[in-house]
Parts: sequence; C-alpha cells; structure tokens
Amino acid sequence: MSEPVISVRNLQVEFVTRRATLRAIDGVSFDIHKGEVLGVVGESGAGKSVTGAAIIGLIEPPGRISGGEILLNGRRIDNLSPEEMRKVRGRKVAMIFQDPLTSLNPLFRVGEQLVETIRTHLPMNERQARDRAVELLTEVGIPAPEKRIDGYPHEFSGGMRQRVVIALALCAEPDFIVADEPTTALDVSVQAQIISLIKKLGRERGMAVMLVTHDMGVIAETADRVAVMYAGRVAEIGPVRDVVQRPMHPYAKGLMGAIPTLEASAERLVQIPGSMPRLSSIPRGCAFNPRCADVFARCHVDQPLPLPVQGRQVACHLYENEQLKTAEVAR
Amino acid sequence: MSPRPYVEVTDLKKTFDVSKPWLNRVLEGAPRQYLKAVDGVSFDIRKGETFALVGESGSGKSTVARMVVGLLNPTGGEVTIDGISMTDPGQRAQRAKLRRKMQMIFQDPYASLNPRWRVDRIIAEPIRAFNVVEGEANIVARVGELLTLVGLHPDDGKKFPHEFSGGQRQRVAIARSLASNADFIVCDEPTSALDVSVQAQILNLMRDLQEKFGLTYLFISHNLAVVRHMATRIGVMYLGRLVEVSDAKEMFTHPRHPYTRMLLDAVPDLAMSGRARIPVAGEIPNPITPPTGCTFHPRCPLANERCKAENPLPINGVACHAVVEGRTLAHPVAA
Repeated sequence: MSEPVISVRNLQVEFVTRRATLRAIDGVSFDIHKGEVLGVVGESGAGKSVTGAAIIGLIEPPGRISGGEILLNGRRIDNLSPEEMRKVRGRKVAMIFQDPLTSLNPLFRVGEQLVETIRTHLPMNERQARDRAVELLTEVGIPAPEKRIDGYPHEFSGGMRQRVVIALALCAEPDFIVADEPTTALDVSVQAQIISLIKKLGRERGMAVMLVTHDMGVIAETADRVAVMYAGRVAEIGPVRDVVQRPMHPYAKGLMGAIPTLEASAERLVQIPGSMPRLSSIPRGCAFNPRCADVFARCHVDQPLPLPVQGRQVACHLYENEQLKTAEVAR
Repeated sequence: MSPRPYVEVTDLKKTFDVSKPWLNRVLEGAPRQYLKAVDGVSFDIRKGETFALVGESGSGKSTVARMVVGLLNPTGGEVTIDGISMTDPGQRAQRAKLRRKMQMIFQDPYASLNPRWRVDRIIAEPIRAFNVVEGEANIVARVGELLTLVGLHPDDGKKFPHEFSGGQRQRVAIARSLASNADFIVCDEPTSALDVSVQAQILNLMRDLQEKFGLTYLFISHNLAVVRHMATRIGVMYLGRLVEVSDAKEMFTHPRHPYTRMLLDAVPDLAMSGRARIPVAGEIPNPITPPTGCTFHPRCPLANERCKAENPLPINGVACHAVVEGRTLAHPVAA
C-alpha cells in the first residue's frame, strides 16, 4: 500500500491550567491515504476538533502537543517552527471551519480574499490569480462566478458562503484538508449539496480529507473509513460500512442505537446512561467504564489499546481473545 | 363525528415590518417592506398526539409556535385551544385559566433558565404563579417529585443551572413545563443543542411523560429523523406556508409534495441502503421578495406556468398543483 498522506502516531495533546494538566487527546493514531475521507465522530468534548487543530498546527497555548508525532508525506510536521508551519499550512494542509460567516473577512470582497491566499502560496500575478479564483469558484458550484467574485461575504447565502470557504481551502491545491463540522450550520437540503461537493473534490483531486462531525449520517454518506472518538481516545476505527452497521465497541454500539433514523421508527431509542466525563475526571482504565453495560474488573484498571478485530481496530477489553487470534493469524 | 380537536389553528398569518427607519424612507424614497413570516397556516392537533412542524430555517415554524402559545400576536387568523380562542379579546377570563394548561420548552437550555436562580426556585415558579399547590412544604415536595420524574435527584434542586450539563438542563426545563400540570406543551427544537446520546435520553423521556400524563405536543424541529421518532402527524412548512400535512407514517413512506420529497432525499442515509434519491437543488429564496404563485416553483422539478402564477391551496393536506393534476416525475432508479 502506498505511503499515507497524513499519519498520526500516538498523538497526545495537553492543556495546562492552574489546577491541573488536562489531557484532551490521549494516544490517537490513524493514517489517511490519498483520495480517502476519514470521518471522525464523537460527542462534544470527545477531542475531534482538537485532533484536527493539532494536525494543522493550530493548538494555541495553554494547549500543547505533548507526545506522539504527525507525519505529512513521511515528513514530521508537529515539531516545525511557527514560521515553517505557516508555509505548510494553506499550501499542503488546509482547513474548512464550521461557521462560514466567521471564517471569511466581512470587510473584503470574496475575490480579494481568494487572490490574497492564492498569491501567498503560488507564484502568480494579480491577473492570473484572479482567473484562478474564478476557476475555483466555478469548481465549487457558484453560479456566475465572474460577477460573484466581487461580492462581499454578506451577499452570499450560508451554503454559498461555505462553498467560498471550500474554494479558499483549495487555493494552493493542498494534499490534505481538515473539514471541521462543515455542514453543521447549514440546512439539510444545503448540507446534502456541500457533502457531495466535498466528496467529489476529494476524489477528483486525490486529496486526503479528515471530516470532523457529530453527525453520523454525514459520515455514512461521505467517509471511506470512520474513527469513533470518546474522551480523547479512539474507541473504534474501521471501514465506514462495518462500523456504522455493525459497531463493536460498546460506546459505538450505543451511539448508533441512539440515532433516530428515517427507515425504522423504533419504539425507544437506545440510551447510554450518564454523559461524557470531564477532562479533569477521566476514569482510570477504560474511559467509558462508568457508562458501559459490559464492564468487568479489568476495565477499571487497564486502559484498552486499539487492536485489530475483524478488519478494524477496537479499543475494548471485551475483544481481547479475538484480537489475539487475529494477531496469531497475521503472524 | 369525531370530537373537536384540542388545538385549532385557522388561517394564521404574521407579517413583520422590516422597513428602513422613517428618515431613510423619506430621504431615499425607499418603500415600506413587509416580511410574511407565516402566510395562511391552518392545522389542528388532537388531544394526546404529537403534531410536528418541520422545515428549514426561515420557514416560519418557530413563529407559528410562538403565536400558538400567545408569545406573539398574529396579524391575522385564529388559534383556538380547548375551545377557547387565544385571539378573541372577549375571552380574556377563560384564557387566563387556559394558560396554566400550556407550557413551552425552548431550544437552548443555556438561555431559557435564569442563571441566578436555583433550580428548585425555577421549577417552583409556575407552581406559585398559578397557585397549583398551597403551602411551602407541599411546594418543596412537589418540586422534588418533578425532579425525580425527569430523572434528576430531589437534592439537585439546590444547584444552579450552570452546575448541570446541557441534557440535564433540558430535563429541568421539562420539569418546569410540567409544574403547572400543563397538558399542552410546545417544544421548539428541544434537542437541537444536544449530543445524540443525550438527545436519545430526552426524546425517550418526552415520550414516557406523554404516555404517563396524556400530554399533547406541538413539536418543532428541522431534523426529520427526530420527527419521525416523535410525531403522530407532521406538517411541512416552506417560506411561511404549510405545504403538506399528513400522518407520520404516510409522510415517510409516501411523501406527496415535491418539497417533502426533496427534504427526505436530503437526509443522509445512515443505513446506506442506496435508496433512490433526487439530488437537491437551490436554496430557500429571500422571504421579503418570495417567488410568485407557489413559492417553491423555482426549485421544483414539476413546476409549470400555472405554478408560477397561482398559489396552490391545500387539498387533502397537500398544497401543490402538480399533485392535484397528477403531474409526476419518473423517480430515478436505485444506483
């Protein structure tokens, strides 16, 4: 298999506060290959956005990457100086944020913002950059781009604005894009359009995409593989079809059952008792143990590590025997 | 003959004046501008059922909810609850009695609870306001009972709202809505601000309470899957008009209005069944200058000249010329 575009190895992110050092990300590892969309799901506080921010080098103090490494095309990027990282960011890696209204500058025309970004990263003159901007706007599906390029962000609707943000991220033809809740602020009918756009662009340009969202439906539609996060750790990661339809980790199972669907109106939704622990009081052993129905003695002591089971990786002591078997077969 | 519906909404209208200030109008010659947020909406809710209003942002569903409970005065039309008009000035006295029977649950449990009040005081407020229970000891007991009912502990009453998570706050809001023994509850996006696992807890709780007390819900949501789980009947709104009303099951198996079909097709497919879907086109137009005729015609695959000129009236719960005339579009075959 070819080398992954992005490889995250045992990433740890900590936030230093007056009272304690809080570990927001604790040993997260995954790879994303060319043209692949990795969905990252979890509830608020699971650490999905922090993971995205860490990859793109946007963790601000008091937060810091305290362990592990991030490789872009085989080269470490987590220890670059801010100056060096700035050259990588935008050029090689880009980000799409949740709220298109805050990620565009309201005082500048859309075209100016695009041209500025293009010229920062690519050797082009004003004219060429503007042509390129029109091309990009056409590609993301904005009607009459020659006219719209001179509009201000407030003259665009929410969906169109998000398309502009996507065009901005594509300016320098990055190898990797983090899309952090790109459709959360949008209506369903617009959401569907933006999802299919991101999917199409990823395929056509061979970009690696990390799609962060809390919406399982969006993941099922868009992603090739999915990582389910809980309390800063990956609970389960694997092909989207397997994880969505036959989740194995008890948390992933509960999460899937909790989602109301259009297909069947279940009498009652599956309920996971309690809520996600605060960072200051993550339980010992498996972080999910107080809410887990299948908990046993070991869960209170050892933190489970993601190990391969049935074509995916699951961090749960329940599957230990199966994991050993899989490992034997592999050997 | 079937008994009279519990809530009757007839030809409800709300127009907001969005004109520029007077001086600008004089100097710039700008005309007055009106936004028809709700334009002739009629439906009824039977006792003990859940009627859901769905639609995208700007479709007017929250405005309808606010007019039903009387938080906004309608520009036209009438709301009748339990036979008492919410709009007729002559029925003021009866309305005062009705008020304790209806409550509202809001979207954002961070904004709808007073941050400087302890939870027991928040929940006791409707009890005191309507004199539901006499005597301090009885009120304390009732508050404890309500907290237990929504899955909290009676001791939680001593805490402030900020000490609770989003889901727990929404439980407090539900307890408050039950405090006056209300039987009609208007829920405006009650779970939109919550995570899925917490949303499941709240939706299950709301269904349990409905069963226990025979509550009637008007449920506002933009999430079709949530609506499918909760509703007995559903009304779909688009640009201030009700385009389709039908039974929940019927709506999801046989959507009739082209907009309903589009909405259903836009929902991400969790089961990955590869069901046939028409790709969604366009966005909601500006409500200040809505399209003529049927407001959905610019996005509708079935639109013709009549749709551009003539506003369709609801017939058998669907407001669509194409449905009435039997114009259909071949549904794409599953890929």
